[in-house]
Amino acid sequence: MGDNAHTRWWTDGPVGTIVLDNPPMNVLSDENRRGIREALAEFRDAGARAVVLTGAGERAFCGGADLKEEEELTAETVGKFLKAGDETFRALREYDRPIVAAVNGWAMGGGLVLALWCDVRVGSTRAKLGAVGVKVGLMASNVQLSRLLFESRARDLLLTGRTVEAEEAHRLGLLSSVVAPEALMGEATAWARDIAARPPDLVAALKRAVNTALDPIAAPSRR
Amino acid sequence: MSVHVSADGAVGTLTLDAPPLNLLSDALRAALLDALADFRARRLRAVILTGRGRAFCAGADLRDEAKLTAEQVQAFLDADEAVFGALAEFPGATIAAVHGYAYGGGFELALACDIRVAGRAARFAGVGVKLGLTVSTARLARLAGEGVALDLLLTGRAVDADEALALGLVSAVADDVQAEARRVADVVASRAPLSVQANKVGLRHCARLPLAEAVTYERGEWARLQRTRDHREAVKAFFAKRAPEFTGE
Amino acid sequence: MEIVEVAGIRVALVAGACVGPDFERALEVDLRIAGDGARFSTAGVADPVACGVRLARLLGEARAKELILAGRAIDAPGALRLGLVTRVVPESALGDTARALTEQLRALPPLALAAVRDAVRAVRDLTPEAALGREHAHFRRLIATQDHKAAVAAFFERRETAFTGK
Repeated sequence: MGDNAHTRWWTDGPVGTIVLDNPPMNVLSDENRRGIREALAEFRDAGARAVVLTGAGERAFCGGADLKEEEELTAETVGKFLKAGDETFRALREYDRPIVAAVNGWAMGGGLVLALWCDVRVGSTRAKLGAVGVKVGLMASNVQLSRLLFESRARDLLLTGRTVEAEEAHRLGLLSSVVAPEALMGEATAWARDIAARPPDLVAALKRAVNTALDPIAAPSRR
Repeated sequence: MSVHVSADGAVGTLTLDAPPLNLLSDALRAALLDALADFRARRLRAVILTGRGRAFCAGADLRDEAKLTAEQVQAFLDADEAVFGALAEFPGATIAAVHGYAYGGGFELALACDIRVAGRAARFAGVGVKLGLTVSTARLARLAGEGVALDLLLTGRAVDADEALALGLVSAVADDVQAEARRVADVVASRAPLSVQANKVGLRHCARLPLAEAVTYERGEWARLQRTRDHREAVKAFFAKRAPEFTGE
Repeated sequence: MEIVEVAGIRVALVAGACVGPDFERALEVDLRIAGDGARFSTAGVADPVACGVRLARLLGEARAKELILAGRAIDAPGALRLGLVTRVVPESALGDTARALTEQLRALPPLALAAVRDAVRAVRDLTPEAALGREHAHFRRLIATQDHKAAVAAFFERRETAFTGK
């Protein structure tokens, strides 16, 4: 159990929960990035078998990078900024227990990246997902979307930067279920408990196997 | 005339018009290549590809194909690939507006676009197998997965618009497919052009890379784009609560 | 679950429960069709990790994890949404669907069926360029076959033809 200015986390039985709390849009702050890493390390020590990640309030799961912070980056500081983000994303990806994103509102830009590095995503009817790189002149979630979905759906989302509402996100495979806002944490915790009830070594092996299943394995054409 | 070419603002439209089925011919391929090169030179940001009559495109003319000698077969395939490649490498988005039949090489033409929207009467079929050939295997399996590709390409069966949506072949089904394609084209045209292009190139490039290398590549692109004028404009526009004006710089 | 094979193409017809070894066999075949009462679960599979890899390649990462991490059972519409099956029909129509499909496959040129199967199943192991090269290599070989010529002749004469596999 712990917290910092923008993040809270605790365990309840085998399930750890992390809440991003940086109102109004839960933009990803340094405290969030650090909080996620610290929480995962604590959960590992506490023997948690699954994790739920969500945003506080009903407006946003995570609004992505703080544009003010990002605007002030210089050639010298951009590397450090990217590294901090990547370390957090890698921590989610490489954490050996599955992570369930409870998408309670907007997940856009870096917030979508965060949700996509989780292993399962469930959403409330207020969930809105957007790969907004093309709207702000950047590029993100390109690699993730083409692996999580197939390329037809990935291309549509990446090139238009359009907002995908909960029901469509479910049809596309970006959300595994959609429930009323008040039922979201119950739904996410139920997924986490189902995962936690399975042999942990098996679950860890499954997560690792799927993470690398789509790496190309053959050498280029021998023509 | 086999292809009508028009441009309105940043959106170009290519309309196949070779009645009755808009079969692919040398003249039609050449017209598509010329028009795409022209659109590229004019820095258009989105292209709509559509057809007149009851077909989007019903594929190659079997009479041309029947005349091929063994030496000419690869050149015949390469002629189609030149068009598909020009669509893939177009810096903006290419959108297929499919109102009718997209069969065989016409199905492949739709698959070569970035985004597909379907009218209610659209029909898609990979009919190569019925003629004893392999067509669309590489593209369809990447776009919609192995299960969908095997079902459609082993049977050659036609799917309607709603099934195409469910199987992930198209992004939307609309009563007025031309209007829907135009709406999507306008959306893409309003986005940062360098980002649109970087996403297209990134999808192609990262398909060859293991995850860690792909992520490194993507973050490099983020850092490159972060220094562009258009990104700074987007941030300014966000804080000023106005729409950004992108120039592709 | 029943698996039928026609011209080297295997089709799984799923009625009722498809779990454990049945689930694994279903993932290996080429076409999967479910009755509307079918249920699927990865519970009890012999090699869950191999199953996860196969699912990722069939469904993409997101849907594969949805199915395999929690080990929840899904119904036929759920399987269709995930892409685990590509068609769902009323359970009472499964037999008729199977007969129509096997007749359809039997009437197609067998060399092309084998080539399509090979080309599609290889895509995920290859770069996009290499996958296209493989498709074209098949195409160059097949266009010289008797069956292709017979198919073109039949097309222009608007009649059916029987294929010989040559």
